[in-house]
Amino acid sequence: MALIEVKHLVKSYTTYKRGSGFKETMKSFFKREAVRVHAVHDISFQIEKGEICGVLGPNGAGKSTTIKMLCGALYPTSGEITVMGKVPTRERKQYVKKIGAVFGQKSQLIWDIPPIDSFAMNKAIYDIEDEVYQKRLDEFSELFEVQEVIHKPTRVLSLGERMKCEFIMAMLHAPEIVFLDEPTIGLDVIAKAKIREFIKEMNQKGTTFILTTHDLEDVEQLANHIIIINHGKKVFDDNIDNLRKTLGEKKIVELTLAKPFKEDTIEDVVKMSQDSPYDLRLEVDVAKTSIHDFLQKLSKQLNFTDIAIKELPMEQIITRIYESK
Amino acid sequence: MRRVCEIYKVCLKTVFAQAAAYRANFILSMLITLISNILFPLITILIYQKGASFPEWSFWEVILIQAIYTIASGLAASLFSGVTWATMGHIKEGSYEIILLKPLSPLLFLAATNIQLEGVGVIIGGMVMMAISLANLGGVGIGQWCQFILLFVTGVGVLIGLFLIMAAISFKWVGNSRIPEIFESVKTFGKYPLSIFPKAVQGIVTFLIPVGMVGFFPASALLGRLDLKAFWAMIPCVLFMLFGIWIYKKMIALYEGVGG
Repeated sequence: MALIEVKHLVKSYTTYKRGSGFKETMKSFFKREAVRVHAVHDISFQIEKGEICGVLGPNGAGKSTTIKMLCGALYPTSGEITVMGKVPTRERKQYVKKIGAVFGQKSQLIWDIPPIDSFAMNKAIYDIEDEVYQKRLDEFSELFEVQEVIHKPTRVLSLGERMKCEFIMAMLHAPEIVFLDEPTIGLDVIAKAKIREFIKEMNQKGTTFILTTHDLEDVEQLANHIIIINHGKKVFDDNIDNLRKTLGEKKIVELTLAKPFKEDTIEDVVKMSQDSPYDLRLEVDVAKTSIHDFLQKLSKQLNFTDIAIKELPMEQIITRIYESK
Repeated sequence: MRRVCEIYKVCLKTVFAQAAAYRANFILSMLITLISNILFPLITILIYQKGASFPEWSFWEVILIQAIYTIASGLAASLFSGVTWATMGHIKEGSYEIILLKPLSPLLFLAATNIQLEGVGVIIGGMVMMAISLANLGGVGIGQWCQFILLFVTGVGVLIGLFLIMAAISFKWVGNSRIPEIFESVKTFGKYPLSIFPKAVQGIVTFLIPVGMVGFFPASALLGRLDLKAFWAMIPCVLFMLFGIWIYKKMIALYEGVGG
């Protein structure tokens, strides 16, 4: 049995349409048009123990709503969620003991006091033994290099420091599953790297992670399972290698030319773009033409001084999936 | 129970630490709350100084009702008004899921982490008023004290019920910051001798929204003027508090969060 099983999950709610301007505002004061929004529409998937699953999707796709339902914080309109054999909303107290969560835009730390005091509160709430608590706190503080930081009031911490403390808060009770909703949002590269390193290390120790993100580097570096949601529907559910293959086995060939290029087409090229007469970017489907054959033909047709062969950028793959479904 | 006490203790320490972060604000709000709550007997003083009165009730008897009302309000506000305001805030901000991530009752967590320390000033002020009025009224027997404690606790329960109903409404009616003012007005009926109101109002504040239990009935017990119907009124009071807890828990299912 999978660690997380989701069957035909639906979350709908009613919102009210309101026009802009004084007239519309007055009109909506007396009569509002109700609109039924399907934030999540018939989604099913499974997540196995030990995975790092990346949930991707454009803004408003339904990622955060799905994560919140998995956490037991939102009640589904219909469908089934079973996590570790429990129904999150039905057995909430028992269930949330075994999970952790970091919501990038919502803090669990108490603003006016140092994180260490918030940690102490969680220690009491999760009933963590003194020795275990101290051991974990020391381990995580060292990993994140925040031994000093945790004694300063939360409000004076930088975003990166705060996020590191959010992770400690979420991990102190040794959860089996951790839900991360945009955990690296707004962070600098160093803080992002530190957090990714932490996730990898905890995952190696057996913690399952489910993360929503817009940062494709998070996905490329961490996730071994990817679910893409768009307009509340699941549009992809597989591993990262198969995600790369969804648009065909394509490669990008970047050329610096010796002479300006003025022609419209090149044989076997799926898509072509040109930044300047000397710089050419070609997209080649290597399932149809081997890269060897393509380069042979290309060298006969063009005179180039430099060449780079790259994978299709993840951003491009994701964008096309968002646009196509 | 041991765990609940431990959680409450740790959260209380956290609340103190938060209050200590803004000491001037804490002292100022305690003073303002104290002054605004203990000044209302001034109206009673003015009424009696001008030769008017609440029929059948002496000045010190009315002050006693108002002192007990002040203590009960201070106690309930300290312990549970934070639940109302925190719930409203979390729902508006879409951060209530943080509460639901904790492996304990959201009510317990919110109550423990939102204790209103300013209420202590109100309780002390009320106790001083109560001591002065009792000193002017004469001795109170042990039996009367027992009745008082029973009715007082029930009255605090009514106020807790009110706070929870207000909080529960905010799950459906987001941004209802004026609702507490309506409830505050309803609560005011508990400040005065019930006999001054028409029979219909007396019935409502005794059995339907039993705010009469907040000040009037417990004070009547101390004064030896307790009506038997006060004990009957305990039933709707307990039901009222239980309804508050039930509706709050029920309304959590309506929480929708905000766009992520």
